[in-house]
Amino acid sequence: MLVKALRLRHFRNLSSIDLKPHPRFNIFSGANGQGKTNLLEALYLLSAVKSFRPQTNAELIEFDQSQASLEAHVERGGQERIVKIEIGERGKKVYLNNNKVKQLSSFFGTLNVVMFGPEDISLMKGSPSNRRRFIDRAIFNAQPAYATESMHYDEVLKQRNALLKGPHNSDRKLLAVYDEQLIQYGASIVQRRYNYLQEFKPTFEKTFQDIFDASFEAELTYELGWHSGPLNDPDAVLSDRIKIEQLLADALERTSGEERDRGHTLVGPHRDDLGATLNGRELKAFASQGQHRAFVLAMKIAEISHLEERYNFAPILLLDDVSSELDRDRNRYLFDFLCDRMEGQVFITTTHRDYILLDHDLAVFHVKHGEIEAQDPETDAFATPHSPQTYSQPLENSSSAKQEE
Amino acid sequence: MKTADPITDLINNLSKLPGIGERTASRLAFFILNQPEELAKNLAESLTNVKDKIGLCKRCCNLTEGDYCSICMNVKRDRDKICVVESAPDLRAIENTGEFRGTYHVLHGLISPLEGIGPDDLRIAELLRRLQGAQEDEPPEIAEDITEVILATSPSVDGEATSLYLTRLLKPMGIKVSRIASGVPIGSDLEYTDRMTLSRALLERREL
Repeated sequence: MLVKALRLRHFRNLSSIDLKPHPRFNIFSGANGQGKTNLLEALYLLSAVKSFRPQTNAELIEFDQSQASLEAHVERGGQERIVKIEIGERGKKVYLNNNKVKQLSSFFGTLNVVMFGPEDISLMKGSPSNRRRFIDRAIFNAQPAYATESMHYDEVLKQRNALLKGPHNSDRKLLAVYDEQLIQYGASIVQRRYNYLQEFKPTFEKTFQDIFDASFEAELTYELGWHSGPLNDPDAVLSDRIKIEQLLADALERTSGEERDRGHTLVGPHRDDLGATLNGRELKAFASQGQHRAFVLAMKIAEISHLEERYNFAPILLLDDVSSELDRDRNRYLFDFLCDRMEGQVFITTTHRDYILLDHDLAVFHVKHGEIEAQDPETDAFATPHSPQTYSQPLENSSSAKQEE
Repeated sequence: MKTADPITDLINNLSKLPGIGERTASRLAFFILNQPEELAKNLAESLTNVKDKIGLCKRCCNLTEGDYCSICMNVKRDRDKICVVESAPDLRAIENTGEFRGTYHVLHGLISPLEGIGPDDLRIAELLRRLQGAQEDEPPEIAEDITEVILATSPSVDGEATSLYLTRLLKPMGIKVSRIASGVPIGSDLEYTDRMTLSRALLERREL
């Protein structure tokens, strides 16, 4: 998977960007607040339509402008596609090959990105919602249909919560309908997350030992946040759809009174979490700062390796100022992995070029006041010559030429 | 609403229509203003007529001018099947296929607790009354004996919830309840079918 060209108009502080990225490493250096993260956010949006930081549509549009547009030419398996998002204050319009996309599920999967930013460093310390987002994003990259499934679950959850709060909350027949939907969609989400974790675990465990120490065993488990007490035989239950449904049904039965009192849904995968241990001890309580970071780094790297091994494609990797958060050895490991064991395209932002331990197959761009300038390789003391280029021709030409073919 | 300026008033009212923003509303308002008086008079009359004369069919809640709609009055329709739809436009869509010879029942909405719409806000009571047999004041030539109810609400979360609710209500009454199938659109390319539809179609495949 390759972003061959990127074109942004009035997106945050990036008012006009035409970029032809390098197929391997793209380094964006510049001081804070110049627009580096905005560039990564644009790529993320083109993949997931939602951003990784919470915001309103208006915040995504450059000040004094009414619309932002993002467009990328993406190559995958020899096929080139054009993904485009127009953001107005009222909403987003999504285009695939210049046709408006009516159902997002047909758009998802065209561009896959894995993001690793400073906020991810505290992934295992923060709230469970961050870990749910991690695993949901990872499944979404592997199986795009999952996005629609989890959207449906969210919808059912909203309706059910409204019902529990509202005047109909004693209508047992109606509640039974939403129970049934919650069980159906919920069980499918639990099962997908569990299955993903099972596939992902071996890669993750090995990566952690590589990064940290071969004598350490890191383990990730799926934890039900609504089940009273631990499961007797979690693997037997979580791999069986019917058993998960039964578990959900029992829990709904048990909490029905409390749910009505509190006015929201207490049972379902929206309350689940990933448990983490290191040599059998709970990570949250016992691990050092360095172990935490190695753990998260291993999760991200395993996510990429897993996609490469099992689904045979390399996602686009977005690294937002990560090097400043990692110690020297971990930073070294990250870049060795990127150079030697991963094939895909990488976008890296940094305040200090010398944090980035790369010296070939790269293009360096300088970001200042929302403008991006390709840096002459001669002046990049760390790099061997390569000719990065900004886009001089407007993108329309290339896309209309494509249509005539 | 009280306002001193009739043009602004018209623009405000027009922009309440679906798909019409303030700019289109203003264009429409000035268009009407510049046309012969006849247009405005006819338009106003049509608007009042539609509210005055169109009511709900006493049986199926379809829109009609009389007591009963033309489908319910048609003696050639099958009297043993009811197709339950969300709205009058949905009814029209199914009717246009020409495949269905039974009668309809229009719910006028879907259950959605978020929007404060519960089962009592839909025409479900009317449906249940229908299934219990003939009403006293009904013309005998349109008497019905329902054995099957087809649920044709859309395959959205709300449509599914409504159809689940009706299933739970109707099944215990000994009536056959079926749900319209969902799958790959005819004449389309599998390659371009969205994934949710495709996985649903696979799940609900049938033996040949």
